[in-house]
Amino acid sequence: MPSLELLDRARLLVVTGKGGTGKTTVAAALAVAAGLRGRRTLVVEVEGRQGLAGLFGRRFLDHQERRVAERVKGLAVDPEASLREYLGRYGFAPLARLLTWARLTHFITAAAPGLGDVLLVGKVWEASTRAQGGYDLVVLDAPPTGRVVPFLRAPQTVAELARVGPIRHQAEQVRELLDDRERTGVVLACVPEELPVAETLEGVASLRAAALPVASVVANRVTADRLGGRAARLAALAKDPAPLAEAAGRAGAGLDAPALGVLLAEARDRQRQVARERRLLRELRAGVGGLPVVELPFLAGGVGRPEEVRALAGHLAAPEPAPGATGREPRAARAEAGA
Amino acid sequence: MSPAATRTAAVARAASPLAELARSARIVVCCGSGGVGKTSTAAAVALWAAEAGRRTCVLTIDPARRLAQALGLDLLSNSPRPVTGKGLPAGGPGSLDAMMLDMRRTFDEVIERYARDEEQADRILANRFYQRLSSTLAGTQEYMAMEKLYELHESQRYDLLVVDTPPTRSALDFLDAPDNLNELLDARAFRLLIAPAQRIGRGYLRGLNMATTAMTRMVRRVTGSELLADVGEFFAAFEGMYDGFKERARLVYDQLKHPSTAFVVVATPEEAALREAAFFAGRLAADRMPLGALVVNRVHQSGPVPEVPAAARRRLAAGGADGRLLADLLELHDGLEALAAAERRRVRSLLASVPNLGVVTVPLLADDVHDVQGLRRLGGYLFAEPAAPRKQG
Repeated sequence: MPSLELLDRARLLVVTGKGGTGKTTVAAALAVAAGLRGRRTLVVEVEGRQGLAGLFGRRFLDHQERRVAERVKGLAVDPEASLREYLGRYGFAPLARLLTWARLTHFITAAAPGLGDVLLVGKVWEASTRAQGGYDLVVLDAPPTGRVVPFLRAPQTVAELARVGPIRHQAEQVRELLDDRERTGVVLACVPEELPVAETLEGVASLRAAALPVASVVANRVTADRLGGRAARLAALAKDPAPLAEAAGRAGAGLDAPALGVLLAEARDRQRQVARERRLLRELRAGVGGLPVVELPFLAGGVGRPEEVRALAGHLAAPEPAPGATGREPRAARAEAGA
Repeated sequence: MSPAATRTAAVARAASPLAELARSARIVVCCGSGGVGKTSTAAAVALWAAEAGRRTCVLTIDPARRLAQALGLDLLSNSPRPVTGKGLPAGGPGSLDAMMLDMRRTFDEVIERYARDEEQADRILANRFYQRLSSTLAGTQEYMAMEKLYELHESQRYDLLVVDTPPTRSALDFLDAPDNLNELLDARAFRLLIAPAQRIGRGYLRGLNMATTAMTRMVRRVTGSELLADVGEFFAAFEGMYDGFKERARLVYDQLKHPSTAFVVVATPEEAALREAAFFAGRLAADRMPLGALVVNRVHQSGPVPEVPAAARRRLAAGGADGRLLADLLELHDGLEALAAAERRRVRSLLASVPNLGVVTVPLLADDVHDVQGLRRLGGYLFAEPAAPRKQG
């Protein structure tokens, strides 16, 4: 299983995706799955959205690495704290203190475009390559697809302006890690809907054009096909529901014709949904050229709580047999689609 | 769950609050988190208003160009163009234009407007720091969208402007953008840092001067580049333009607060989207912005099916192929019903936190909205009469 192999091997997983595709959820689930598989993992958010905290049942996360799940720590990178750390690391501690005193840190990270991203990426690099008390894997909840390439390449962009000096040096080290297929993998979260699929394909192309190691697509919220193989029978019953009424009568189910009509209509909607998702997933698979596409089921309760993240992590840690196979439904996760 | 409960699948509502907005508002701002159908909602509201006879323009600042896909526009433009889609009415007083904001071009126009002369404008436009600032600084996009919105509003060319915003987080920047950008452009402290020597002559400032000079040296060592020189040059070139910027930002902000503007928060019944919607509604209330309505897209609905006892279900499952199929259909229905109920609960708890918010629910549609027909179908739900029975399926 490609995703499984990635979970066991990678040092850094960068998770991106179009807004609303569950990028943060996928990042959290990947981290928990890696933890389940015995790896010491850090999951990092960089956009100050506090999206991870709730998924781990916490009010917030900050610039301290804190335990959030089995073998998993969480971190919300703060650009200002990163700037102070960064300056300290390169022997500019007095400057860091002066900046803090003058409350200019925020201003500088806001004013020098890309510098904020450089610091955020720099922090992720530091955590991924930390020698002592470090991690086997860092999972980054990165900016959305539209911004991820400039984000990851920010160190280089600034390095082009900064021809010498520590920024340049660090940019080269960051680049080495990001370009290394053995250590780094970019994962795109997607949902089986038209525009997200189109944007995922664009995202894969732009990441590849930037020579970033795209590793996998996670198709999130896939509707399970509970009626697989019985489409013809359902179509026949929709025309003539008499056999269904007989079956109901024999079993004493107390379902009249209108109720059976509702059930058949709901089944038809569900089949349409499944068929549409299957078509989109086929387009996705065809468009990403051999990239593994891993499916996660739609969870009826939504994904907002640790138990749901664990359910998804369970899928990732021990994925379903073959991609594209009829999705089995986990007991806790009754599938219904969001289009 | 009782059949009666499932029949009232939509959250109870009075007349569609959107109808009033689309008839009388001058500006409608659609906001919400990513992937909730904001763009389609904005376009459907605009289409409905146009068909109701108003001269309407819909603007998007979404770089994903989703509106383009929905409206058959495929170019980034900085002026509105008539929407040409199949099924648009030819006559009537109403009209529908659309534009996707070219943020960079708008920023350039703003510079050109406020510059003393062409020379100052050229100096700024050629500055490397400006070129980066105008395309990368968070909030710039929102600020420019508001700028364009205000410009179109002032032009009086339209009765109604409908704006589609980027996802919530940025949409908040959208309220802050005028302040943030002004803070940046007007940051005297920063200008001090860049070019302290010429300005500060007075004795008591000399100590500060020395400190900032030392800092500048260190910053130069860290960045090892002409970055700071570019920044300094940018601020120098900007001298004298701050007041114009500030005044304009204030006008824009006032217009957003005006009763003829309405914010529409768009969500889906998922936990995360509703949380964002609640957060945004709270933020709008705090800024005393006119909140018009909540639109919840992609709501699941189940039809009325009587409860089937477990024993009967077991007999069905043990019966022939049709019996097993029926058992599966019942299970499918249970799942759908539970999902619909969970969604209603989530929407209700959001509404409890935001008093007096009109809500419009749109059922999960069988197809993505990507043409005028789709927008009109969506509009049918957005502007439905209160008691309109929902067709199943």
